Order: sequence, then structure tokens, then C-alpha cells
Amino acid sequence: MIMSEPVPIVDSNTPGGMLEGDLVKHARRGDLEAYDELVKRYQQRIYATVYHMTSNHEDANDIAQDAFIKAYSALKSFKGGSTFYTWLYRIAVNKTINFLKQRKNKHHFSLNDLDFNTENNPDLVALISDKTPVREVGLTELQKKLNEALMKLSEPHRMVVVLHDVQGQSHEEIAEIMNCNIGTVRSRLFYARQQLQGYLSEYAKLA
Amino acid sequence: MNQNEQNFDALKKLLQLKQHEVPPPGYFNHFSGQVVSRIRAGEASYSQSMTEKLQAEAPWLVSIFRIFETRPGLIGTFATSLCLLLVGVVVFAERSEHASKNLIAISEPTAPTGNAVASLSATPLVAAIDNSNSGIVASTNPVTSLQPTATLFGQSGGSTLFQPAGFMATGH
Repeated sequence: MIMSEPVPIVDSNTPGGMLEGDLVKHARRGDLEAYDELVKRYQQRIYATVYHMTSNHEDANDIAQDAFIKAYSALKSFKGGSTFYTWLYRIAVNKTINFLKQRKNKHHFSLNDLDFNTENNPDLVALISDKTPVREVGLTELQKKLNEALMKLSEPHRMVVVLHDVQGQSHEEIAEIMNCNIGTVRSRLFYARQQLQGYLSEYAKLA
Repeated sequence: MNQNEQNFDALKKLLQLKQHEVPPPGYFNHFSGQVVSRIRAGEASYSQSMTEKLQAEAPWLVSIFRIFETRPGLIGTFATSLCLLLVGVVVFAERSEHASKNLIAISEPTAPTGNAVASLSATPLVAAIDNSNSGIVASTNPVTSLQPTATLFGQSGGSTLFQPAGFMATGH
């Protein structure tokens, strides 16, 4: 006998049960409950993107919140030419790049802790180089080196790597978010990967 | 190229490490609440700044609003008197419009005799003009009002002037 999973009861009248388009319509009329639901749906992805760009939890918190507030105030100008998600992402990306330009090269790392599953990930453990001069390097050290290497990339190159290789976005989505063509996304990704490989080859088995 | 792709595969695996970087537990439980609170605070400060602006530019208006807040009965009285004033203005405007239309209709030269002023003497208003015999011609055109009717060589031809009809009506 096959037991099916219990289907959650979705009430389309509550913000939690509404489609994205309906939530956007309600939020445009000033319904903050609807906007709260939109924030809940995208907060993790927006925060993660900003965090991976800044390598700083506090900055990511501020920028992500600012992006959501800016999006709410600009909702009336949202024409629906793209999805709300893409439009929101664009706001967050622009805010992040502006922030990084102001901050320039002053990097203050405030890295989040690795979760408990990291040490059980054989792919990651296997990457720790046995040829490195820092033989005892652990995953935490590797995390730090990885973030340092990412911060050496220019903002557009870092953004492409974060969106594609960390967040799993497609080339098309990235092109729409960054307002450039797909060829540019591909070339930036290739160049950024080459750069990262050069920076990290000493610490990880990448070749 | 294949070698590069293989190398990049290893790099991509390494980049997965970033996915394991997570914010403190419970962080997202409060995130949306903080965003909404900041939006509400922003809206409140905006309305407050609007009130402050109004206070600076028109303090009398703000004091009127405050009086209305403390005495709601005054709002009804104020609204009623405003309505009455509006109705009064409309009635007055209609009456004056009727009067001016009558004068326009009368002042048009319809009589075959060609003497417009003589034909107007049927109404009491224009009778006054006729009786005064001062050479003033009634007209509703403000541009031509009080213009001397010059002759061909600049002679004024006595004291003949154009004058708005309304002026005459209020005069007597």
C-alpha cells in the first residue's frame, strides 16, 4: 500500500495561499500582510546572494532589508514585464554593487558558520589538498580562502559566479537580472572561474 | 577545453561550500517582520513630516484641524455653512447672469429705425440712460467700456462714452 504524503490545505484567501501575482496586486494597494508573505518567500535567496557578494552577515542583512523596502516603495512602477522575483533580484543586485563600490577594497569579513552537514560532504572533504603547504587546512580555513578569492574578483564577475555556481541560476536569468546578454554572462563566468582556480589551487585540489 | 571543464567541475564543488554558510539559527524568523516594521516606520515618519511641513507653511490650517479634532460638532456647522455659502454664490451668479443676458438682448440693434438707444427706452434700466442723455452708450464689452466715440478727425463728439450695462444697473 502506497502512503501518499499529506497535502497541506492551501487557503487562497490568506496571503500564504496566494499566487505571486495576487500578492503583488495586494501589496501595491498597501497590503503589508501580502508583502510580508512576498518577503518570506524570497528572503533566503536574496539574503544569500547579497551575503555571498559581501562576505559579511551584517552588511547582507542591511542591504537585503533595504532591497525589500526599496521594492515595496517602487511597487507601483513594477509593470510586470518580468517576474516579481527577477525584478526584486535586480534591485538587490544593484544595491549590492553600489554598496561595494562605496566600500571599495575595504573588506570586513563576517562569515556565517558552516552548517553541520559540511563535514559529511565527501566532495568537499576530498577537495582539501594534501599537497598544500598548509596541510592541516580544514574546511573552515578553506571557507575563508574561498571568500578571500571571491573578493579578489570584480563585482560583475563575482556576481555571475555567485548567481550561477552558488545560487544555481541559469545564464538567461542572470542576463535578465544583470541587464546584459547571455554571451557576456558566459564570458564573465569563464574568466571568473579561471581566476578563482588560480587563487585557490594552492589550497584545494582543483587540477 | 575538456581539461578546463574538469577543472571547473572541481571548482564548482568547492563553491558548494558557500551553500553551507548559513546565518544564525532563527535569523529568518524575524527578517520579514523587521522589513515590514521599517516600512511602517517609514510611512509614519513620512506622514509626520507632511504634518510638520503643513505646520510650518500654514499653521492656521493646522490649528483649525486641531479645533475640529477636539470639537467634532464644529465640523458639521462648518460644512453646513460652507454649503449654504456655495448655494448662495450659485443663486447670485445665476441672477446676475440673467440680468446681463437681458441687457445684451436689449442692447442689440433690432429696431429698423437705426436708433438703438431710443429702442432701449422700453426698459427702466436703459430708460435711465435715455433720460440722462449724456452721450454714454451701454455696452457689456469691458474692452470698449468708457471709450470715447471718436469722430473721423479725432474729435470726441462731446461726452459720448461706452459704459458697461452692469454698472448702470447697480447705480440705481
